[in-house]
Order: sequence, then structure tokens, then C-alpha cells
Amino acid sequence: MFRTFLSFRYLRARKTNWIGMAGIFVAVAALVLILSIMAGFLAEHRRTLRGNLADFVIQPSKMMQAVRLPNGDLVDVNQDVQELIEAIEAHPKVISAAPQLQWYGLFVPDGAESALTRPMQDAIQLVEMIGVDVEDEAATSDFAESLVREFSPKPPSGRKESSVARVLDPSDPFAPLEREGRRTGRPGRPIIVGEQLAYLWGLRDGQEVSVVTATFDKYGELNDEQAANSRFQIVGSFRSKDNEMDQRRIYMDRRELNDFLRQTRSWTSVIVKLENYERDKEQVREELWADLNAKGFLGEPGSNPSEFRTWEDFRATLLAAIENEKSLMGIMLSLVLVVAGFTVFALLSMMVTEKRRDIGILTALGATSRGVMVLFLLIGMWEALIGSALGAFVGVLGAFKIDAIERWLSSTFGFQIFNRDIYLFDHIPSEVTPYGVGLIVLGAVVSTLVFAAIPAWRASRLDPVDALRHE
Amino acid sequence: MSSELSSVPMPLECTGVRRSFPVGDRKLEVLHGVQMALAPGERLALMGTSGAGKTTLLNILGLLDRPTEGKVLVEGVDAWSLSPAKRAELRNRRIGFVFQFYHLLPELSALENAILPAMILFKGSEFRRRRSEFETKARDMLVRFGLQDRLGHRPGQLSGGEQQRVAIARALLLDPPILIADEPTGNLDRGTGETVLEILLDEQKERGVSLLLVTHDERLAKRCERVLYMEDGLIQADSSAPIPT
Repeated sequence: MFRTFLSFRYLRARKTNWIGMAGIFVAVAALVLILSIMAGFLAEHRRTLRGNLADFVIQPSKMMQAVRLPNGDLVDVNQDVQELIEAIEAHPKVISAAPQLQWYGLFVPDGAESALTRPMQDAIQLVEMIGVDVEDEAATSDFAESLVREFSPKPPSGRKESSVARVLDPSDPFAPLEREGRRTGRPGRPIIVGEQLAYLWGLRDGQEVSVVTATFDKYGELNDEQAANSRFQIVGSFRSKDNEMDQRRIYMDRRELNDFLRQTRSWTSVIVKLENYERDKEQVREELWADLNAKGFLGEPGSNPSEFRTWEDFRATLLAAIENEKSLMGIMLSLVLVVAGFTVFALLSMMVTEKRRDIGILTALGATSRGVMVLFLLIGMWEALIGSALGAFVGVLGAFKIDAIERWLSSTFGFQIFNRDIYLFDHIPSEVTPYGVGLIVLGAVVSTLVFAAIPAWRASRLDPVDALRHE
Repeated sequence: MSSELSSVPMPLECTGVRRSFPVGDRKLEVLHGVQMALAPGERLALMGTSGAGKTTLLNILGLLDRPTEGKVLVEGVDAWSLSPAKRAELRNRRIGFVFQFYHLLPELSALENAILPAMILFKGSEFRRRRSEFETKARDMLVRFGLQDRLGHRPGQLSGGEQQRVAIARALLLDPPILIADEPTGNLDRGTGETVLEILLDEQKERGVSLLLVTHDERLAKRCERVLYMEDGLIQADSSAPIPT
């Protein structure tokens, strides 16, 4: 009993112990706060990385039909996608599936003249054309949301002004706009460009642009003219939040793209939306792949990873970098806990020296050396527990209120600490996870106990005769 | 006087106790085979010049120091053959200490200091259950010793005599059969020393405790039934008869 009682009494009576506690408090509060904000940034980053990617993207390599060419060769040609979609939607945890036709193209915004006179990067750009079925796409990816996100005509620094606003009618996004310039000939195919692409080239609403691509005829020969070249009309822009996607993607109606590609391909992949991606991704991926394999749409599960990908697979490198950054940051900041441990070590060592006589008395009165050791360990533990509990509380509170705190600090001291324009966030993100906070508290307690163990052990080794001799 | 002759073991006894300390690469022997016993209820004084080995012997008899050779028997049990935990319990329950410099814990009140042995003996729940019992016991003693107004005071707020009275209450709390007092009045002025000594001797007599009193002071020794004189690490004289006062 004396251990608990005395450890509390020493803790209360010796104000120096409070310094150790304050050290742990500051360390834990700072760790919780910083890691929460860091986690918030990374989570936000992760969300923007995703852009318009759907939960799953399925690209069958087997979903082909053998066709005999006039020269007698057999080639595989895309089959009707509807069967595959039905098979996917049969899974109870799948909400919807939609076909996509994807093809690369070279974007030539200002026609042949610029292509001849300007350097390459000012004349042409590689773009990803995505042919979609509007309703299915809206039900399956964030396509619809990206069409209605707030638009600002003011470009980011270094970019050009653009008048390509969001589409007029999100339910019919590919409706053509009034033509500018050329009045004769076939009207351009309506396309929706990414916002960053529009800023990059200073595009205008209704502007006609060219896209060039390589197409093949249905016999598999490269087309006579070597390329398909068509005029397109910009009818709006989207913002997926992923910068890369907003700079490279061009959405259009799937039938238009199919037509542009001379009707050689009608689809390349099927995107899938789950009821609850985070919860079910592994299970559904496994079940769905096995099922689609059994029905002859896909190869053996795992045999060809590009047949079945989650959105995270597309961003695997960046996501891994984020995770890596998070754990690296955690490890480096944990050094703060070691510093707090050092403080406790120094203070307890001092206390053991100061309390030599008391240790001798306790031994004379029948305390075991283990009891003496536990007494000093307990002092360290109370410091750790109280300090880290208070620290966790203040840290969590700070993490929840960081935005208000920053605004208050900024307005009080008259300079902006967090520039909301730089990060494209309208608030300072923070994400508190009970697991993370628990880990920090545990780390603080363990680190303190490890450091407290050394003086505590020294206390237990004191010779009582020696300790009592001093007065 | 030795335990072989009596059927009841002596409360405290030592045989052939030697103690040497390393000094440089040599060994300095302070005790050269001391033999002594403390009988039940006996009041025994240990005297000797400084450097004679009194304190070393006292530490060994109080189980704070291990003899290089020889045995210490507490109620017939060889203390150094026990585990450290058992030996600590023996110190806690069977031996009460009164030191020259009182040795109270400065962070505890007088009452808390007095119940410290019980705090050390019992685990948390057991102690909490019996706390009031020990507090009553300690309070009764402190009141009897004239400290009724001092129960909540810290040692720093008490005079030397008051502190020593708290130390006596602490030594007696668990009713040990053995009391070891090391110059209990050595740090007190004469009048205060007298009062404290009276309290110590009264309690000893009333409880029938065996008292081993280490002292320089002839007057203290005269109050004892038997006096051992130490010289050069050996007991040189044993006055079995009480010295007339």
C-alpha cells in the first residue's frame, strides 16, 4: 500500500515532478495535434487523388469474340458489354456498373497553324478521352458531382483565364452550344474538358478544337489516313479535384467516341460502384472476380491484375507514399516522447538522490527492494498517465478546433498562418483517430516507464545502512 | 542465556558474527565473532567507545546489514537464510527501530508516519479495510505521548522530542517483540531526552518488549537490566546484574 500512497504523496509534494508531467503533457498534446492535422491533410490528399475514379474498374481481356478476317486470320473483337454489366450487377453489394470507352488522343486546341508554328508543349497535348453513358456514369462514379462543383473563372497562378463554365444542364451535359466561328460543315462533337485543361489552354465555352488519334479499321489495319481527325466543341468543364485528371480527361458521349474511332471499339472497361467500398472492397473483389471468371468474362482471379482494379490500384504508388509519409512522420515525432522520457529520467534521478534517507527508512521498516523500485516506477507512471491524459484531451480538443484557433490567431496577430489558397482547402483539415491517440498515449507511458526504470532500479539497489548514515 | 539451554528461543540472538569491509585491496574486520542474546522482556544496553563496532553490530542485529560470517536468529529463525521478502517482513513485524535522528518521512504527517509500518505490511485493499484500526491505535499512542495537537503536523513542524515520540509510536505500531534503539536521546537536550526515555522505557515495560539500547550515556545504561561493553569488535564485559541507580 505504501507504494501507491507514497508515490502520490511525493508526486504532490515535489513540484519538480510536475515539470516531468508538463513535459509529457506538451509532448502528447503536440503529437496528437500534429498527427491529427497531418492525417487530415493526407486524408484530404487521398480524396483528391481519387478524382472521378470509380470503386472498381474491370477491363476484361477474355471478353472477346473470334472474328474471321477476309484474309482468313482469326481475331478477337469486343463483345456486347450488356451481359457483363448484368453479371456484375447481380452481386448483392454492387450498386451499379457502367461501360466506359477510353482512348488516348492528341489535343490540338488551336488548329494546324499552332501545331506548325509553336513548340510542342504549346501546340498539342496528350488527353484521355472517356466515352460515357451519362445516366449510368452518374450512378457509378463522381462524374455528375464533378459537373456541378463551383467554378471560378479566375485561374490558378501561371494559368490562363478560361470561360469554360460548368455545363448548362447536368442531366444532359453533352447538349451542343451555339457554334462560334465556323458555321458550315458538320458541328463539332460535344466534349466536356477538365478544368485545369481549360485553364492551361485558356479555352472558351463553345470553342471548337481538334483531337487526333490513331484508329484501326475492323480488319486490324491502321487506318488509311493513319489517323482519325475530328473537330470537337467544348460544352463545359468538370472538376474531379484530382489535378492530373482535371488536366488530362475529356468526357464525351460513348456513341460519339465510338463513331470517332470508326466504330471499331464500343467499350474498353466497366466501372463498378459498391454499396460500401471501404467495408466490402476485399470481399466483393474476391467474389466478383471468381464469379466473372466462372461465367467466362475474366481470367483466373489474380492471373492478370489489370483485368480487375480498385481505384487504389491506379494510385498505388502515391497512396503508398502517403502512408509512408504518415508512419515516417509518426516515428520522427515520437522522438518528442523520448525527450519527455529524458526529463522524467533526470527528475526521478534527482529525487532518488534526494530521497536516499527515506529509502533507507522504508527498508528499515520492512519495505523490500522491489517495493522501493515500484514506488519510484509509480511516480513515473502517474506522471505519464496524468500528463498524457491531459495532453490527449487538449490535443484532441485542439485538433477539432484547429481551424477556429488558426483564424483567431491570424486575426489577433495580424498575419495569416495558414494560407487556404495554397492547399485548395477552405479549412485546415484534421482527423482524430482513437487508435492513433491511444497509440501516442501508450507510447508516452511506455517511454516514461522505460526511463523511470533506471532511477527506480538504482533506488532499489541502495544499501540501507549507507542511506541511513547520512543526516 | 543461549538458546540451546532454553526451550523458548530468544527474541534476538547472534553467534560468531564477523563483519569486514574492504578498504582498498585489504579487508578491515570490524566485528570479530560477536556472540550475544536478548532475552524476552529484557532491557539491554550496548555501550562502547566510538569505533568499537556498536553501530555495525546494531545494523546486523536489525537485519539491515549482512554479517560476513555468523548467524542472526530472530526468535530462533536464521534471518539470512530467508528470502529477502521474508527477511523484510521479519524487520517489519518483529523489530521496531528508534533512530538517533528520528528518521521520519518529511512528506507525511505525524499520524501517517506512525502507521507507515502497517502501510508497508498490508496490500492496498487489506490496508484500506484496516486503516481506521491502525489509525486509532497510532492516535492513542500519540495522544498518550502528549502529541494530541500534533497529529496532522509534518516532521518539519515538530520539535526533536516530538519527532522522536512519533518514531517510538511508529516502532511499536505492529507490536514487535524486539525494539532496537540507537542513541534515542543522543540528539535531544537533557530535559527532552528524559521525557522521551521515560516514554520509551514505560512502553517497553508495559508491553514486555525486549529492548536493545545502544548508547554512550552512562545514565541511560544505568536504567537497563544488563549492559554489554564493546571494544575492538568484541563484547568485552557483560554486567548481568543491574547497576544500582
